[in-house]
Amino acid sequence: MADSTPQEDLWHDDPIYHNALREAKFITFLWTCCFFYTVIYCYLYGYLTHESLPSSTGPAVGQVVGLLESFNRDPQSVSYPLGLGIPDWVFYGVVLPWGVCVVISVWYCLVMFVEDDLSDSAGETEESTA
Amino acid sequence: MSETSTATIVTFLVYIAVVFVLAGLSHRLLTKKSFMSEYFLGSRGLGSWALAFTFAATSASGGSFTGYPSLIYSYGWVLALWIASYMIMPICTMGVMGKRLNQIARKTGAITVPDVLRDRFESTAVGLVSASTIIFFTVCNLVAQFKAGALIIEETFNLPATWGYLGGLFVFAGTVIFYTAYGGFRAVVWTDVMQGVVMGLGVVILVPLVLSQAGGLTAVNESICAQPPTLVTSMKQVYPDGNSTFNDLYVKAIGDLQPAGLTYHHPKQPNQSLKVRWSEQSDSFIEVTLATNVSGRTTSTGNDVRAALEEHPSLSQLVEVGIAFDNNEIVEENGQHVSKGATGVIELDPDKKPAKFVFIRGDEAIFGPGRSSSGAPFHPLGMAISFFFMWAIAGMGQPGTMVRLMAFKDSRTLKRAMLTVTVYYSLIYLPLVFIFVAARTLLPYIPQESSDKAMVLVATRVVSELGLGYQILAAIFVAAPFAAVMSTVDSFLLMISSSLVRDVYQRTINPKVTEKVVKWASYGTTAIVGALVTIAAMRPPDFLQYIIVFTGGGFAATFLFPTMLGIFWKGMTKQGALCSMIGGFLIIVGLFVPSMFGGSRMNVCGFHPVLLGLFGSLFLAITVSKLTGPAPEHLVRRYFDRPKKDYDIAKANTESLS
Repeated sequence: MADSTPQEDLWHDDPIYHNALREAKFITFLWTCCFFYTVIYCYLYGYLTHESLPSSTGPAVGQVVGLLESFNRDPQSVSYPLGLGIPDWVFYGVVLPWGVCVVISVWYCLVMFVEDDLSDSAGETEESTA
Repeated sequence: MSETSTATIVTFLVYIAVVFVLAGLSHRLLTKKSFMSEYFLGSRGLGSWALAFTFAATSASGGSFTGYPSLIYSYGWVLALWIASYMIMPICTMGVMGKRLNQIARKTGAITVPDVLRDRFESTAVGLVSASTIIFFTVCNLVAQFKAGALIIEETFNLPATWGYLGGLFVFAGTVIFYTAYGGFRAVVWTDVMQGVVMGLGVVILVPLVLSQAGGLTAVNESICAQPPTLVTSMKQVYPDGNSTFNDLYVKAIGDLQPAGLTYHHPKQPNQSLKVRWSEQSDSFIEVTLATNVSGRTTSTGNDVRAALEEHPSLSQLVEVGIAFDNNEIVEENGQHVSKGATGVIELDPDKKPAKFVFIRGDEAIFGPGRSSSGAPFHPLGMAISFFFMWAIAGMGQPGTMVRLMAFKDSRTLKRAMLTVTVYYSLIYLPLVFIFVAARTLLPYIPQESSDKAMVLVATRVVSELGLGYQILAAIFVAAPFAAVMSTVDSFLLMISSSLVRDVYQRTINPKVTEKVVKWASYGTTAIVGALVTIAAMRPPDFLQYIIVFTGGGFAATFLFPTMLGIFWKGMTKQGALCSMIGGFLIIVGLFVPSMFGGSRMNVCGFHPVLLGLFGSLFLAITVSKLTGPAPEHLVRRYFDRPKKDYDIAKANTESLS
């Protein structure tokens, strides 16, 4: 009976691989969200000038999204949310997402992360050459 | 000797003594367990705290306590964006590959990263290329780190210039080689834990002390904004006899008209007098043409320039010129005379461009992109994008961190370590921004050439004035960069000896080597590599920061995608892995070559070379694997599948492996 079973039916995806892949995809998604939010927010609202050097990235971005000079920040316009003394663009662009990231990281570790049994993987050649 | 320096020296000595004790304890464990697995991987038994702190301390090289504070002091709040990807770095660097890498390392019995790659792709070539790359980048990095360690000891113990560097180098090398060679991985991890705790506690205690002295961050920002536009003419000269002069003029724009900056010109003719020209228009440069002697060499000193500016009819109303220290103040540093004033001759090469300095407004430290004294933007968009990749993504590709992911005990350990490092990084890296932005008002004139000592200066001048207890804290801060350098060096030393002993010798040349030979080869290799690096560091290159960035980028471009795709993508082939590694290596080396000869690295389209190396490596990995695929079925089965439980597992394994 077993001998007639097709090879594909004898194997299935390693559950640890499956879980690790799912977790890696989630972290990559989270990194992507942080990357786009933080870099775009800080560049638009935290920069006094937007680049004009010929080789820089700014003009290339400008060609796609329009002129960025209108986002040049007026130094007098700085505010300090919650009276913490942290400039508004740093607070909303870095500190706030940092806090959210910490919360999501804790949630990820406590809820999403699967405590797979890795010792189950050992044994084929574990320390055989040691 | 001051009280603070005594406290510093005592702290150093206690620290080194504790390191030796930890090495001794670790060595005792070596005799009880399988040597190679214990020596290079701690028998895969790292607990949560050990994993968290060895991970954090190894990532934090000397740069975290020297270069990073210096950049914050110089450029202000934009460093919050520069470091922003640390918000996600712990779960990126540990969570993406940790579990899977650990699983595959257990499955194959791998002890090193090249071990994992060699087994995953069943390719000796992949193993050897990865081992060779590790050796290349690690040696480059170690020379830089050894120099940093030697300089810290030279400065801390105030050793004379004639032999201070070499003395510092031998003390540093002797300490780190001994405890690494003798204690192995576990000694490295234990010292990392100690160093990580010291660094973390130090920052947490320093934040309220500095902020309360500065009057709070809002007051700090208002003070910074109120500072008039200032330029600093960084023209330090070091003479052949070792004596030096700073020649840092601080020029403040105090009038209605504001010049754009100041340039020093060489007249390119002999016997010229000092001339100052300005077109009396805002945004035009003050042109200073230096005086020359009969042989055409410049003769003007900083004081001459200062006097000329003060005597200029219109400029004297518009700018205020000063120096960071009392004029003509000469101090003894490391046995040499250092003129803190502006008494030295400003030497210019007639064949080079004029030296250009621009006025930087105070409010430029509140916003991005920041400007250097030459006016170049510090953190333009391309760099903002690149650095978000650099810390979190390139951080995943460091073999030093990967090997730690192969060493933890179980999944729960990884989970707890991620939580710990997430909190730890939040307590360290953002608060450092607060501390050193505040330092701009507490210590307003740290010359640019001294800004790498910002941490030390804040610790000694701000904290140590509070009393003896705080002097000990200050001493710990002075020792923190030393601890950070050591925790990086020890990991790298082990990495290079594991590559040589395990990957090259045991797995390629002599697989039947006895454990006794392996043992002495491991001790010997660690010690010999350390000694060779020490010899290389006796005449070290000047561009240390370039080397550290170069090696970090090189590791990421070489190892990230071959490893990540190797453990997650069934279609990855050994040809794809090889091309990805070699391609990433060549891109990074190619883009950094100009900096090795004193030029600037090549930032294509405004992006950092690391980004290009990563994308090049990824492109090659996928393209070549698609072209050379599919991957061998037995490898896919072995690393991605499991036999069904209702089937004869042993038989399935036998069939697949045959």
